[in-house]
Amino acid sequence: MVGPILFGEALALGLASGPACIAACGPVLVPSLLTGQAGLRPNARTLTVFLGARLLGYLLFAVVAWELGILASLVTAPRGLMIGAVYVLLAGVLLWYAYSAKHICAQSCSDSKLVNIGENKHRLVAGAAALGFLTGLNLCPPFVVAGIRAAGLGSVVQALLFFSFFFVGTSVWFVPFAGLGCMVRNQAVNTVARMAMALIALYYLILGIAMLLGRKGYGH
Amino acid sequence: MATEAQLLRLARPATRTMGRSVLLTLPIVLWSFLMFGNPSVHQDLQAHIAGAMTAVFMIVLFFMMMKTGTTYRWRRWFFVSLGLLFPIGFIHNVIAMRGTMGIPVEEMIAGRTPFCFMPIPLLILPAAFTRTLVFPGSILPNGGMSGSGIAAMVGLWLAITLVIGKGWCSYACFFGGIEEGMAAVPKRAKIRKIDPRWRYLTWAVLLAMVLLSLALFEPAYCMWLCPFKAVSEYVAARNTVGLIQNGIFVLLFAGLVIALPLLTKKRTQCSFFCPFGAFQSIFNKTSIFEVKIDQTRCKPCVLCQNACPNMSLSKESVARGEALMSCMKCGACVDACPRQAVVWHIKGTKVAWKPERARLMFLYAAWAMAVMFGGSIIAQGIATILHFLA
Repeated sequence: MVGPILFGEALALGLASGPACIAACGPVLVPSLLTGQAGLRPNARTLTVFLGARLLGYLLFAVVAWELGILASLVTAPRGLMIGAVYVLLAGVLLWYAYSAKHICAQSCSDSKLVNIGENKHRLVAGAAALGFLTGLNLCPPFVVAGIRAAGLGSVVQALLFFSFFFVGTSVWFVPFAGLGCMVRNQAVNTVARMAMALIALYYLILGIAMLLGRKGYGH
Repeated sequence: MATEAQLLRLARPATRTMGRSVLLTLPIVLWSFLMFGNPSVHQDLQAHIAGAMTAVFMIVLFFMMMKTGTTYRWRRWFFVSLGLLFPIGFIHNVIAMRGTMGIPVEEMIAGRTPFCFMPIPLLILPAAFTRTLVFPGSILPNGGMSGSGIAAMVGLWLAITLVIGKGWCSYACFFGGIEEGMAAVPKRAKIRKIDPRWRYLTWAVLLAMVLLSLALFEPAYCMWLCPFKAVSEYVAARNTVGLIQNGIFVLLFAGLVIALPLLTKKRTQCSFFCPFGAFQSIFNKTSIFEVKIDQTRCKPCVLCQNACPNMSLSKESVARGEALMSCMKCGACVDACPRQAVVWHIKGTKVAWKPERARLMFLYAAWAMAVMFGGSIIAQGIATILHFLA
């Protein structure tokens, strides 16, 4: 009986933490979905790739943290370096993504469907995967809560299952993001999304470098 | 069918007689004295004089609008004065109360950070998700520099916005006046060709700042990108990050508010960067006042496009007979059109149906709010100068 209760707890924790998760992933996810093609199906595909890569990031971090024995000390451990590194990598991928999406509107808005099979599409899928993976590694508050709970479990397999159920709980909150596919795609939307992505990248870059240099935030 | 000469004669601005202009100005006279004639509010002599000067200033400008039938240049006097006098009054208050323009962390923790309207769009999502305001101020008055609190500012903003839409950016914003003044300095623009895609940047800043404010639980625009921090209150830079933030504020101010308006004769910060401006554009849909183009009179001469300080008229929009949703209702295009093809319009009526009546209705609403909101800021700025001179 321990299993179902435990995984029910993980699911409930995920559902409860969902708003915090979409808040943490929103700056990365929303512009990347807006630069893609219109339609529910292409958006759902990008979202699935993003979430799958995010799960991979979760599990990989959980295994490494378990083996190093630092899962229980996530709150007190010096997380600044890791978050700083993730922010800098996120900034790099976002800038690359914004650049790669340069011609996506010209393609998705054009008449022929054949042009959509070009390499930009693959590049954007790879971009979604990279962004999902990095947000999986980003130690956001809900992730830390789940990590501390998972640290008290008997084995690494149980911890991974706990994380997986936690992930399923949080992912429910991401489903409405597929609705962004219903938004009209034109040059304006594409350009706004790409510009926003570049701004968010700069923001992460500055924060990441400050964290790597051990500088604290505003006014302290 | 009217001839070209008849049309041009019709197109002259509707100048009025002195008596009629005075009559039309009377409501603003009464409103101004109601706002600035209350002795219990203004305690000392300088404040009395400042109030009287402001009342006369606002009345004269409105009278000139009525007399000449033009709007833009008179509104610009008010708006530039507002932009220049706001920092004077504000900085004086800040220094008097806390001794420095820098905001110390202690003031933030105590919820005493002054709240301007800029972070309003950034507060909505975090409030919806977590029922928390991501701003270190207080909802109700909390002493210090928090003024009347967030609730009063949001209420005032909502009331003004629902009526005049993005007219806020031309009649209420106390930041835009500096760049409008800068844009008025050169006779001709040095940079005339601007890629219209830059207009999207303001929406991108809005999207990025809303998402980052939700993710990082801070008013991201105020923390990192507001150019007007350079002339209001800056980060108390106690470390490298604070210095970087202040550097960004100063650079953005120098570039977007000083240099680019001088080079382009446009309000570049408002047009290409301000997230609040993008947010306000949405409320042009709720306002009944708008600017339309009477297709029967329009000969596409692009004078209106060149006159627009906000790039809110494009070839396509003129062909559709309307301004873009980013229109700030400043009146520059209406005044610039030699054929009076660009007209003030009330939604639900036919285009060019009594445009002067539409203009009057808009101006009464906008100017009454300008007297109340901007006028009090102008009076405060003048009072500060008088205090220094006394």
